[in-house]
Amino acid sequence: MPSTLVCASDAPAMNTADPLLEVRDLKVHFFTRDGVVRAVDGVDYSVNRAETLGIVGESGSGKTVSSLAMLRLVPPPARTMGGQVLFEGEDLLAHTPKQMAALRGRRIAMIFQNPATSLNPIYSVGAQLSEILMWHEKASRRQAEERVVELLGLVGISDPGARLRQFPHELSGGMKQRVGIARALMCNPSLVLADEPTTALDVTIQAQILELLADLQARFRMSMVLVTHDMGVVARMATRITVMYAGRVCETADAGTIFSAPQHPYTRALLDSMPRIDQSYSGSARKTLPTIAGRPPNLLNPPPGCRFHDRCPEAMPECRKMMPVETTIAPGHSVSCLRRGSTGVAA
Amino acid sequence: MGTARYITRRLIFAVCLIWGVSVILFAMINAIGNPIEILLAERPGITDEIIESVTKYYGLDGSVTDRYFTWLWAIVRLDFGTSIIYNLPVSEMLVIYGMETLKIQIPGIVIALFVSVMISVLAATRQYSKVDFGVIAGAMVGHSLPGFLLGIILILIFSYWLGILPSYGAYSTRNPVMGSEVIDGLWHMVLPVSMLVFFNTATLTLLLRSSLVDVLRQDFITAARASGLPERRVVFGHALRNAFIPVLTYLGILFGLMLGTAPVTETVFTWPGLGALYIMAIQQLDYPLIMGATMIITVMLVTATLLTDIAYVVIDPRIRLG
Amino acid sequence: MAIETATLNAVQRAPGVWRQSWYRFRRNRAGMLGLGLVTLVVVVALIAPFVAPFEPTDQSAMLRGAARRPPDAIHWLGTDRNGYDVFSRLLYGARTALLVGLGAMTIASLIGVIIGGIAGYAGGMTDELLMRFAEFFMVIPVFIVILAVVRLFGIVVVGTWMEDIPNLNLLTIIVLLGCFEWPPIARMARAEFLRLRNAEFVEAAVCIGTPRRDILVRHILPNALPSLIVLVALGIGGAILAETMVSFLGFGDPKAVSWGQSLYFNYEALKVAPWAVLAPGGALFCTVLGFNLLADGLTDAFNPRLRQ
Repeated sequence: MPSTLVCASDAPAMNTADPLLEVRDLKVHFFTRDGVVRAVDGVDYSVNRAETLGIVGESGSGKTVSSLAMLRLVPPPARTMGGQVLFEGEDLLAHTPKQMAALRGRRIAMIFQNPATSLNPIYSVGAQLSEILMWHEKASRRQAEERVVELLGLVGISDPGARLRQFPHELSGGMKQRVGIARALMCNPSLVLADEPTTALDVTIQAQILELLADLQARFRMSMVLVTHDMGVVARMATRITVMYAGRVCETADAGTIFSAPQHPYTRALLDSMPRIDQSYSGSARKTLPTIAGRPPNLLNPPPGCRFHDRCPEAMPECRKMMPVETTIAPGHSVSCLRRGSTGVAA
Repeated sequence: MGTARYITRRLIFAVCLIWGVSVILFAMINAIGNPIEILLAERPGITDEIIESVTKYYGLDGSVTDRYFTWLWAIVRLDFGTSIIYNLPVSEMLVIYGMETLKIQIPGIVIALFVSVMISVLAATRQYSKVDFGVIAGAMVGHSLPGFLLGIILILIFSYWLGILPSYGAYSTRNPVMGSEVIDGLWHMVLPVSMLVFFNTATLTLLLRSSLVDVLRQDFITAARASGLPERRVVFGHALRNAFIPVLTYLGILFGLMLGTAPVTETVFTWPGLGALYIMAIQQLDYPLIMGATMIITVMLVTATLLTDIAYVVIDPRIRLG
Repeated sequence: MAIETATLNAVQRAPGVWRQSWYRFRRNRAGMLGLGLVTLVVVVALIAPFVAPFEPTDQSAMLRGAARRPPDAIHWLGTDRNGYDVFSRLLYGARTALLVGLGAMTIASLIGVIIGGIAGYAGGMTDELLMRFAEFFMVIPVFIVILAVVRLFGIVVVGTWMEDIPNLNLLTIIVLLGCFEWPPIARMARAEFLRLRNAEFVEAAVCIGTPRRDILVRHILPNALPSLIVLVALGIGGAILAETMVSFLGFGDPKAVSWGQSLYFNYEALKVAPWAVLAPGGALFCTVLGFNLLADGLTDAFNPRLRQ
């Protein structure tokens, strides 16, 4: 009997794309003293059921802000200026604050980058986790704490009963991130937004946390958006990958395609600049690690046309004048680049 | 265990502090010579014999160290001697006048605490808005308006121009307001307490708002919101308690400042409190009263500091380890 | 070669810390308002003798029976119960206020920087002892102690050579304020010296054999200055306020023309001549507000990270 259940929900996810979440033309602007910073400027992507979408980009490319915008949590002076966030068919940007609060943590949850700062230092682990259940599911303190203990065990924390009374500063970094993950899973969300979940951790811990995330994702059949600047992380975790640059999407494709046949010059440059284990960067036969010349643009005053043109090895005169529109070049593979057949709009 | 050690350490420092003040005070009073001689020198018809006998009467003969330890032993037993001017036991006077001081100072800080929490939350959750800007500007102005000037303005408006509130004293000499001693007392408290509340609120708001703005920017607040907790719970439960940690230290300092400037407040409102008593004592060189009042104010101040230290431990679990 | 020179010039022209701070400060409206108020007080103090319509000691209105007169064309802010022209005394009071503020903070800065600097640079037991000493001064009821000392000192000097020093009482207050207001400066100086002692550019200076005095005076102190300046600005306002309160209570210098003295003499007549109280009060408020806003603006200008 359970198998039919799985099949029923599984079939569409496998064959046609069944987006759990669709982000369309999302715009988030920061209103600073010096002017308007277009941190996210018309971004589209979608997440299917039970898949992991990796969003890759340099710092400042707008990847974190766009995931906060999905939960309607962009901090002032930033504001979401337009677009749609369709989650299970509902436009989250049209929800009332009350509807949003009921949805956060229950249906969409978030894992934060820095476990040291994302747990409240003055509450015990048990208090801040059980509070979420007590609020969302009107659970009693005892029920909530039982569930917290269960989840802490699930995310690999030893002796969860004792951890309940401990405070964040008494835990190690990896342990704190496990607590952060347990917090996200508290109400069995269908979508988890993981914002650089391993960046702030030691390398050895990183691997453990990634493994845990992959394991939990498979076990609970949840969808995940994994925001990171680390190509290695997405290579390991993501089903599909969206590459962002300067507040816009460059390319979206299956993970395999991104690594085997990247189309956008920025994606290619990113992959080229990854150190490879089969090459030597020292000694007599050394190679220089390729880097991307120039610097990411100042989004107060973004370059006209394609945002990448002044660093792009393939740029042509039109790239300066025309803004490329995201175009599907193969099933499930879309690119915004005039060189790859995207149409352009005059900037 | 850690908590107990922490509090013990603060307690020892507090005792050292009080002792230090007692030494300085005693040295200071004695540096000017025999206080009786100075006190009586300003009056006519005083002979050396009279000075000598009065000096003996107040136990001011003998070596400085002897006198210091006699005095220290006495104050440890809460015996502050007899007031020279009023001829009353200093400890009794300190209790009576001290109560009057606390009667306005404690409501002054407690009410301010509530008001500033409300205002800070209002402003910090609407950062960059007109409300926020207005609160910052108001708090800055209120913080820069010296309390006693505000007191003068309040008296001018509410006592002299509108004639609705009494301008001086803690009680009516005759005909209590509405025939009730209690209401009369409260009625007299309105202006001084308002002044203290205004200044304390402005100062606390200035600190609490910026602390709250800082905390509201932290990841764990975004995380609490991302967990779907209602905004009220996020602000009052998660943000406010954290924002309070840096303000706590200042709460002790502020209370100290208010006690320290009680002479000014109580002069403006002719309030029969410790501050006013202290002014009379130093004007008339009533040295047992000077020493007693200073010691009692120091003790109050140190107690306030100690209480904030303890509040720290309650509010911030990170201290419990150290 | 030409390109290199150009780059070099560009580097040299890059604005320094002070200039950058000034750019940031200029955009801070509250800070600029503070600077404006402080400038006003300074200008008034400088030109008081030239613009004041009456001498600060001129009580002739009393003889004419024109004391306690409300503001009119001759006495712009009225006259007080002693027949003084309120406006003239207000202008002259700015001099006393600034003298007190600057004098007290000069003393406090000297003590504070020396004690804090030694504590921060020496560390260890010295640091511990000096900081406990500073904490002691921060907890005791300073204002109350100052009142007592001013009063007692006034008695001690009677009949000694010190009696001949003009404005001795005011000087006593200035010195006392300086001697009690140093702990915040010492704590800040200590924190900055501690931070900078381990800074890489200081280590570099140590490595090339810079004498210790040069390290302290030329490398560490200039970098600690911004934080200290903020405290000094705050302290000037605080010292002016403290002097006014001491005078208001009647322990001030009767010979000095200060706002606190005006408040003290006229408070009893508040009901009949409120202008004589409100005018010096307003002046005090503007001065304190000016220094507070200035300090606030400077904090933002020196620490852009703290600001959004």
